[in-house]
Amino acid sequence: MSTKLKHFQTAILSRRRFLETASGAVALTVLSPSGMGQAQTADGTVPFTTETPGVATQRIDGLKKVTGQKVFARDHTFKDMKDWKGKPHYAMYLRALTTEKVFKGIDRRYLPPAAKKARIILGNELNASQRSPQIAIRRDLLVDERIEEEAKDQPKTRGFDRPYAVVFDLIVQPGNVPDFLGQAVALLIFDDLAEYREASRAMAFQDDDFQKYGDAAPPKDPVVFNPKTTYVKYDHGGVSFDYANANPYSYPLEADSYKALIADALDARPDLLRHDFACDMRAMDPMFMEPESGLAWHDVENKTLNLVLGTQSPDGDFSDIVSMYRSSDAPFKLDAVVLTTCYPGGGFGGRDGSPFSLMLALASAFTDGNPVQLMYDRYEQFRVGLKRHATDLTGQVAIAPDMKLQNIEMNMRFDGGGRKNLSPYVASLAALCAGGSYKTPMANIYAEAVHSENISGGSQRGFGGPQAFFAIETALDDVAAGQGWDPVALRRANLIGEGDTTVTGGPVQQELRLREMLDRAEAHPMWADREALRDEYAARGLTYGTGLAMSLQAYGTSGDGMVAAITMDETGKLTVKSDAVDMGNGSATTLGVVIGPILGANAVDVEMGDYTLFADTELTTRDKLGTRWDNPDWTSKGVGSSSACLTGLHQVHVVQQTALALLEGSIMPAARILWGMPDLQSSATAWVDGALVLRDGGADPLPQDVLAGAVFENGLPRGTLGHAYFQAIWAEADYDTPGGQIHLALDGLSFYMPGADKPTRVVRQNAFGPAAWTRRFARYVWAPCVNVVGLTVDRGTGAVQVENVLSVLNAGRVHVPALVSGQSQGGVAMAISYALHEDLPPGMAGPANGTWNLDRYHVARAADVPLNTGFRPDARSQELIILDETPADKGAGRGIAEAVMCSVAPAISNALHDAVGVRYSSLPITPEKILKGLRA
Amino acid sequence: MTISFRVNGHPHEVDAKRGGDKLIDFLHEDLNLTGTKFCCGIGICRACTVSVKKGRNEAEEPVISCSTALATLDGTSITTVEGVSNGDQDLHPIQTEFLKNFAFQCGYCTPGFVMAAKILLDQLETSKVSKDQLDGMIEEAIGTHICRCTGYVRYFEAVRKTALDVLAAKEGGQG
Repeated sequence: MSTKLKHFQTAILSRRRFLETASGAVALTVLSPSGMGQAQTADGTVPFTTETPGVATQRIDGLKKVTGQKVFARDHTFKDMKDWKGKPHYAMYLRALTTEKVFKGIDRRYLPPAAKKARIILGNELNASQRSPQIAIRRDLLVDERIEEEAKDQPKTRGFDRPYAVVFDLIVQPGNVPDFLGQAVALLIFDDLAEYREASRAMAFQDDDFQKYGDAAPPKDPVVFNPKTTYVKYDHGGVSFDYANANPYSYPLEADSYKALIADALDARPDLLRHDFACDMRAMDPMFMEPESGLAWHDVENKTLNLVLGTQSPDGDFSDIVSMYRSSDAPFKLDAVVLTTCYPGGGFGGRDGSPFSLMLALASAFTDGNPVQLMYDRYEQFRVGLKRHATDLTGQVAIAPDMKLQNIEMNMRFDGGGRKNLSPYVASLAALCAGGSYKTPMANIYAEAVHSENISGGSQRGFGGPQAFFAIETALDDVAAGQGWDPVALRRANLIGEGDTTVTGGPVQQELRLREMLDRAEAHPMWADREALRDEYAARGLTYGTGLAMSLQAYGTSGDGMVAAITMDETGKLTVKSDAVDMGNGSATTLGVVIGPILGANAVDVEMGDYTLFADTELTTRDKLGTRWDNPDWTSKGVGSSSACLTGLHQVHVVQQTALALLEGSIMPAARILWGMPDLQSSATAWVDGALVLRDGGADPLPQDVLAGAVFENGLPRGTLGHAYFQAIWAEADYDTPGGQIHLALDGLSFYMPGADKPTRVVRQNAFGPAAWTRRFARYVWAPCVNVVGLTVDRGTGAVQVENVLSVLNAGRVHVPALVSGQSQGGVAMAISYALHEDLPPGMAGPANGTWNLDRYHVARAADVPLNTGFRPDARSQELIILDETPADKGAGRGIAEAVMCSVAPAISNALHDAVGVRYSSLPITPEKILKGLRA
Repeated sequence: MTISFRVNGHPHEVDAKRGGDKLIDFLHEDLNLTGTKFCCGIGICRACTVSVKKGRNEAEEPVISCSTALATLDGTSITTVEGVSNGDQDLHPIQTEFLKNFAFQCGYCTPGFVMAAKILLDQLETSKVSKDQLDGMIEEAIGTHICRCTGYVRYFEAVRKTALDVLAAKEGGQG
């Protein structure tokens, strides 16, 4: 008990930062719910670690989750918030039913009795800063320069996720036409739980009764969310042009002329096979299991907003919320925000920049200083939660008779829905993925996200990859089938590798091993014996087919900053702190064990979602003089949103480098004192059974607690705080430490000294970091995957059953094998689900009408997925082959959370083509579509 | 008029006027037992599964707490995930196996899987079941539970292993 209490109080004291706003500084305090992190058991053991540093025997968050303790935002009730005062209130938003008529208001006569007692707030009762908060420009996006360029063209005041020249209010004002379906039209505040429940029941599916709409409004002009993405690549006849190497300012104009040159080059080659393709896919709901939920309390006396949230982007949500209360017309000013960040009950991108946080904060302004709960049910989650975009893709591949790709042309239109959110950046990454796993001398790719009346799209697992890989991989299979080419041979003839360039013109500077992966897949009995398998199924009266597809999913963004702290207590127990959020992907577990080989023991506690850490680094992203890495205070980016794919390389890197700083800057000096060996180098030592030993013997081992004692006695650092930045390469620098000068792949380092809460910065020296212009490569590191799918088709019902899946994955260093295979298995299931089942119609025929739930949206069940592991011809199975690490990996992992999923769906379509000779290019491939295709 | 039932061994009485309230809301709001998870609210996903025993000699059954009214629970004994272990201590074998096998990820569906699997394993303890019946029984017990993160593979592996342990222990006991 005392351990938990201490942990909680330490968190309160240490996790604090300030956000400068126009109206002064707002302090942010980040708290962990008491259930988070790793509690020790009564006997003092830490169940998630083993004696082996670097090895996890279970998830660090596992014990709390498997016993049903409070770790999610929805688990928290007012009773759990001991310091909160006031009467609990409950918030409910009513949602727009049309974008074609003027909203006139709420007809209270038709509200059920319980709702009549509620306070009803309409859009015209909000002041400007609440109605359309001036949010910060999103921070962790593709190509920052483009965003900066875009910002220059727009008014300085930017409303909440509105496209240029369109204002989207959080709550529609009476007299206006809703901008999209599901936009809030009223806020209802209840001060009685029973009445809230009764009203919720009575009002469900009855919106038509009490929402009033007037005259039809003229249709609005179509709006494209900026920035749009154009990648034109031309490497032909000794002339070279591409996005990465062109002058950023003249690129748009030049690109047009090179498009014409591409057309000329293709026309000059009548021998080229030019294959047109078109495909489309419906929107998809992330369907994380916990509907969004949270608590808020505006503590008027202390000018503090208290929040309980489960979000992937606590930093961005905090900034957006503060923006609501920082302008001159804000209804009140805030001095502080206290944010309790919870483990999200699933994320998949759907909690990255979700408007939920703002809607909760907005409600808190209308409860007269009382706490309020906003909890979506599943209907509302379907109705307003961020979606993966419905997308239309068309294009053409041009291929020479020797199977060599000459050009990839692709046009992609993402339905961004109502709010802009991350849609244009999803489209932008899709443009990069359009090149697939292949090199091509020419490319002409365009991707845009458009505003529509539909539910907003956002950052979903794969971030544009699922759409683009589906297009290119099905197109290549059609080419192979049409030409009688072997589909593996066609792919092998075009594989991209180190030294080649992507469709942006950015170089591939990482070992990919695509050829080896294709070889493994080709030799596997699922592929090699596919005709025999077809015959065996046919003998049982079943139609069987096999399909293969590849993906080259990038991980990270165009530039990633990340931060971590490692602290040691007097007994030598280690705690890791990270700004990242664990959505269930296991990053907390991974970060807890990757320090083991460096520091001799795994962490006993990992604190995630600590957005205060970056402020403690004292680094800034402002660079007025443009001196970049020469300015020791500067970094290119603080921190970004959490993505599962950022763990394997990025977060592990910053944690390990920060651990190295603790070893060299504190533990080694302590060892030198204890052993009386002032010239001792760490290379002469090793960790054995939790104690530091001399490799050549000759001194007593130093256990962790003895070393920690010497650290504290001698005033050596008890912890380290590191910041790292990656953009094709890591930023690096030298740092003076008590153990001498060390070189680290960090751009910021601080020490926690005994007795001090705040860390002390070590000014970096001799810094070297990525050049700004490399951002135009778009991405730098890749997690390749080859998927082979075997499936059966019921020609009578159109039902498809995935029988077998083979995934060949290059994951680099595998930190926690069970987490990697778990991500793979989850990716296979999600891909089967969206390829064959998940179907969200647009408009009021879909979830925007408020009647959608899991009874009509089919998410894959166990029966839809092969559950046996390891290929067995006699049983439905999935096999994951992870390539062995090579020296070129340099011990680094790859972010694979999206990698396996991206090529399953095209492999399914290719398998269907193999089975029945029909190309199904519209996802989901429902039984109706199967039957229609068979009849055609 | 009151409705009486036990939750994790503790007796509770509520006014019959609340007979229409859903069990999950009572657990969350009256008892602050939030281990039982709300997801779809219409009994499809089974994240809210609890165990209900209708009479002293009756077997435990999985019940969808989001769709079960208190009025139907008079005289029953309900076990939620909080009643399966003693906090972090005394884990049920299925909880231990879920941990060891990294069976879950975000963990929101986990209490539902724990409850359904526990009921199955209790059933195996008391009834005669052969190994070749096992897969069908596991499918029946957890096959309709929805999990969005894991792809189900590790959940099924964990339940199968624990179930085989139960059968093996019974065989050993008989032998």
